[in-house]
Amino acid sequence: MFAESSLNVRNKRIQNLFRILFLIMTILLIIPVVAILATLIAKGGSIISIDFLFTHPTNGMTAGGIFPALLGTVWIVAVALLASVPLGVAAAIYLNEYAGDNWFTRIIQLAIINLAGVPSIVHALFGVGAFVIFFGFGTSILAAGLTLAIMTLPVVIVSTRESLRAVPQAFREACWNMGATRWQTIRRVVLPNAVSGILTGVILEVSRTAGETAPIMFTGAVFFLPFLPQGVFDQTMALSLHLFVIATQVPGVPENLPFGVALVLIAMVLLMNSISIAFRMYLRGKKKW
Amino acid sequence: MKRNFFIAVSLATTTLFYSLPANAADRTIIQNKGSDTLVNVAQAWAEAYRDVDADIAVAVSGGGSGTGIAAMINGTVDIANTSRKMKSKEVKMAKGKGQHPFEHVVGYDALAVFIHNDNPIKSLSFEQLKSIFGRGGKATKWSDIGINVPGCKSDKIVVVSRQNNSGTYAYFKKAALGKKGKFRQGTLDMHGSKDVVDLVEKTPCAIGYSGLAYATDHIKMTCIAKQNGGECVNPSVETASDHSYPIARPLFMYTNGEPKGAVKTYLDWIKSDAGQCILMKKGYAPSRDVSCG
Repeated sequence: MFAESSLNVRNKRIQNLFRILFLIMTILLIIPVVAILATLIAKGGSIISIDFLFTHPTNGMTAGGIFPALLGTVWIVAVALLASVPLGVAAAIYLNEYAGDNWFTRIIQLAIINLAGVPSIVHALFGVGAFVIFFGFGTSILAAGLTLAIMTLPVVIVSTRESLRAVPQAFREACWNMGATRWQTIRRVVLPNAVSGILTGVILEVSRTAGETAPIMFTGAVFFLPFLPQGVFDQTMALSLHLFVIATQVPGVPENLPFGVALVLIAMVLLMNSISIAFRMYLRGKKKW
Repeated sequence: MKRNFFIAVSLATTTLFYSLPANAADRTIIQNKGSDTLVNVAQAWAEAYRDVDADIAVAVSGGGSGTGIAAMINGTVDIANTSRKMKSKEVKMAKGKGQHPFEHVVGYDALAVFIHNDNPIKSLSFEQLKSIFGRGGKATKWSDIGINVPGCKSDKIVVVSRQNNSGTYAYFKKAALGKKGKFRQGTLDMHGSKDVVDLVEKTPCAIGYSGLAYATDHIKMTCIAKQNGGECVNPSVETASDHSYPIARPLFMYTNGEPKGAVKTYLDWIKSDAGQCILMKKGYAPSRDVSCG
């Protein structure tokens, strides 16, 4: 009936070629992830224990645990999240639900894009100038957390806007037609439907925040502190800086120690990500559309 | 359901933070920043001081002597660590900002010249150092100084140096290349004492300088002679202490004015036998004769 012409055959062959090419590229993507995890587990897995996680470093940071650094990272991430999530989500709601398309919102849009493009070391210097010196927070968890918050705001705003935009306009219109105000619509219809997407933004932020080194080493994290932080005005050790320090500054560190710290850092990020992803799937399961 | 989740999370966080040993209110924090050479000793002191006085916490940061001095000038540290003297220009700047840098010698550091384990060099004279490290120096190949390094096929000397705000950089330049001496161009400038050692350890063609305290079992240090063919001295804590090793420098801590209160007790402890023995254990020479148990 329809015999394949030579052109058909050729097109099909090319089509298959590209399919396989892209498949290989995709598989290549997994290799670094697997390689990094495998190296870290192979070289650093032996040092991980409850003691390692919950004791202080000893013997010039060549032995003992990483508790102050672990706790410090939790503190800094918590401050960054508390500052950037409300701010970012509020800004995104305004931009998406209230603001019209005018010069003002376009300038804000531009500012957000530029903020996302600023290198982290520049954020660090901004943090020193603004939070450490001008606001007088000193080098502290608060200054470090706020610096990271500024740095991650664009991620939160952009991803929140995307997920708000994904809520069908018809939902809003239906709600308005029932006599609901804009705020009621946002509170009862838009936000519940967008929350899984917003969480994705927060996940991305957490992963980035926990691993950043440059913005915190000038604003709040120190080489060594013999005590745990007690409040947001204290300085602290942090996992990422601790990893840098023991990998490059301290002589006589056993080989599995830096790998162990890196493993904890990655595990921490992965754990937070999985919790959020599970929560997201739970919420998505409840979605009715 | 949702509310329970939040209650659980907040309970967990609160328990975590409040179950910690907390006597924060009356704790004094001493800010200590500067020299990468001193940072590991400073860390060891801070770690040990926890057991001496638990109400004083010493926060240690590195960054280099220049970083420490800048922080002193800006008044953001209590103690600045440096591996070189503050320049008169820097002291003037500090005074202009109402800071009065007060100098303490807390120990001595021998700068060792490091080479790869396969490198057969035994000793180097100052003249040879100049020809390897100095601008316009004649030695660019190992064969230029009559050495054949197995594993270094190119024969080219890879000169490893430090970034120029480092106290180690400044001191080695002055001590080995003379007051007007300059480093040759094309050196590999590393950002830490340990980086130099790590690189030389893995590079047969390399030669670099760093603190004696950073020596490992996998690297060689050359014996240093003042004159060609003269008697050479190996770097060690002993030869740095008795000043027979020619490239040893004092290590400083600066305070704003004469130290008072917690800073004074801490510095007194650093200069005591207990503090000086920790410094010795880290590979530095004490500032005076001490007896360690």
